[in-house]
Amino acid sequence: MDQKRLFAAIALSIGILLIFDVYNRATRPPTPTSLPSTPAQTTTATPAPGPAASAPAAPGAAAEATTAAPRAAAARLPVENPRVAGSINLRGARLDDLVLTTYRETLAPDSPRVRLFAPRTDPNPYFAQWGWTAGNANIRVPDNETDWTASADRLAPGTPVTLSWDNGQGQVFEIVLSLDEQYMFSAEQRVRNTGTEAVTVLPWARIRREHTPPTAGFYILHEGFTGVLDGRLHEVTYKNAETEAQRRSGIALEQDTTGGWAGFTDKYWLAAVMPASPTETLRAAYRFSNDGGGTAGDRWQVDMAAPQPVTVAPGATAQTATRVFAGAKEVHLLDSYMERLHIADFDKAIDFGWFYFLVKPFFLALDWIFRLTGNFGVAILIFTVLIKAAFFPLANKAYHSMARMKALAPKMTEIKERYKDDPQKAQQEMMALYRTEKVNPASGCLPILIQIPVFFALYKALFVTIEMRHQPFFGWIHDLSAPDPTNLFNLFGLLPFDPAQWSHWLHMPAWAVIMGITMFVQQKLNPPPPDPIQAKIFQWMPIIFTFMLASMPSGLIIYWAWNNTLSVAQQYYIMRHDRAAAKAAKTSVKAAK
Amino acid sequence: MTAAAVALKGCVHAYRYTLRGVIGSHCRFYPSCSDYALEALSTHGAARGTLMTAKRILRCNPWNPGGYDPVPPKG
Repeated sequence: MDQKRLFAAIALSIGILLIFDVYNRATRPPTPTSLPSTPAQTTTATPAPGPAASAPAAPGAAAEATTAAPRAAAARLPVENPRVAGSINLRGARLDDLVLTTYRETLAPDSPRVRLFAPRTDPNPYFAQWGWTAGNANIRVPDNETDWTASADRLAPGTPVTLSWDNGQGQVFEIVLSLDEQYMFSAEQRVRNTGTEAVTVLPWARIRREHTPPTAGFYILHEGFTGVLDGRLHEVTYKNAETEAQRRSGIALEQDTTGGWAGFTDKYWLAAVMPASPTETLRAAYRFSNDGGGTAGDRWQVDMAAPQPVTVAPGATAQTATRVFAGAKEVHLLDSYMERLHIADFDKAIDFGWFYFLVKPFFLALDWIFRLTGNFGVAILIFTVLIKAAFFPLANKAYHSMARMKALAPKMTEIKERYKDDPQKAQQEMMALYRTEKVNPASGCLPILIQIPVFFALYKALFVTIEMRHQPFFGWIHDLSAPDPTNLFNLFGLLPFDPAQWSHWLHMPAWAVIMGITMFVQQKLNPPPPDPIQAKIFQWMPIIFTFMLASMPSGLIIYWAWNNTLSVAQQYYIMRHDRAAAKAAKTSVKAAK
Repeated sequence: MTAAAVALKGCVHAYRYTLRGVIGSHCRFYPSCSDYALEALSTHGAARGTLMTAKRILRCNPWNPGGYDPVPPKG
């Protein structure tokens, strides 16, 4: 009977793992290479969502509506600072070419730099754009085909550039762009009305992603729309945004926000738009539409626009100032922007999650140790020791009664003998004995439960921050944020094939094996669960966990392995200590006699 | 039993077959905290059962002598 239930449980676990695996593959979006390229000329108009009569068109909707006629190649304004390089497409005022010069795609020294923004001629278009929507019919506003004139030949820190365009009807549009030494672009959009009639326009800035990026698909990592609007974090995955947008005519979320920011987050990179002033109110929206052609037609957009169309009297100038962040989510950098530019909760672009109050301090401590030691792996090891040390008194307290437990041994054997056939009754009697003798071998559930969020927080800090990316450890680990490349199933490279190509369950790195062994040893030291079926399933836990964690970033597996090792060492130390104390007590009693 | 109580009991069962295997059993009481939770949820419902379980877990620390501590009967 027990045996049957055990096998059923194992079969069930394996079934769940397989179903999860298949489900994961089915829902994962195609890799960028499989997307057909969508040249700019074939991109069809994005229909303006919502009833056009009552609501103003979505920012950029009108700009999309113009059909392109073949013309001379668009001029580009080069953009450069110590951390980014790229250019602004002067046709349409789009920042659609941006490379993060201090980050490379892979560890190879000649690996290409990380590209954040790409033009529509690329398979994965992603860009920031500034523009206006006409508030009334009698004004001509710039669109995607507008050729802007730049006041300088290069945008760099300290040298702002003004883009200007005269609509020929008395209105001059200007975009004053500037760039800092890091990842922040500022844009001041102006409309100068030199005509004789008032005009109404709706200025906007948007980030647009014309493909669905591949996501890691981890439950504990958010990728997709993110933003802090009026002090509240709004994270929406691509999938949920799509569902919501289909129900609400293209708008997944729309809200006025004073200050704040909104954009797209990848695991490590962020593109976000925000009001330049923390007291300015803009209307933010997350949008989705599909131009047809399956997932290749996916269009994602985050925009911030004036909450109401702005009327510009003759002779007057209307202006709106926004910023665009486009770069890596470095914790200290986001913190410094938060402080200097008063961007509310900008650090929440990193998915610290519910345990923010633990995860962020943990990260800061880790990073501090990293700066001291120069190796992120070593920093993980040291920090884990510190956390373990903090919990040591709790673990120690419980084991102090161990020595006195020895004295009770005869009584305990007696109980075990008496209730041989009724383990539950034996357990109950044992507990009663502990109580009368005021000893108890277990540390209690509370200290264990308290530790769970702490170790989860450390795990999360390692998982979500960019600072571990491309950081080496010893031996064969050259990137702590990537899976350990070795594989037991081809005898660590002795066999000339990669079994992981057939199923990712066939990837069993060396560090995962080490983790499994430490977990097994640690489990042996724990008291087994009273229920025999559970006890049998637990014997499988190290194996199940080894497989489940195998393709995780190696830094996390090293952390798990080290954490288990420290637990074993701690338990061993306490037990030895108590045994020594018991022996000492015995000899002193003998001596007294 | 209400749906909430059934769902909560499901969570306790899930914990026993997964997480407990990783962290081990360290309970100072009989019945153990998870047994206590199941019984409390069955006897006293979702709200009171959860509250009683929370209190029991808070008691389950090295400064409490532990021992036999059954779920109080209803009423």
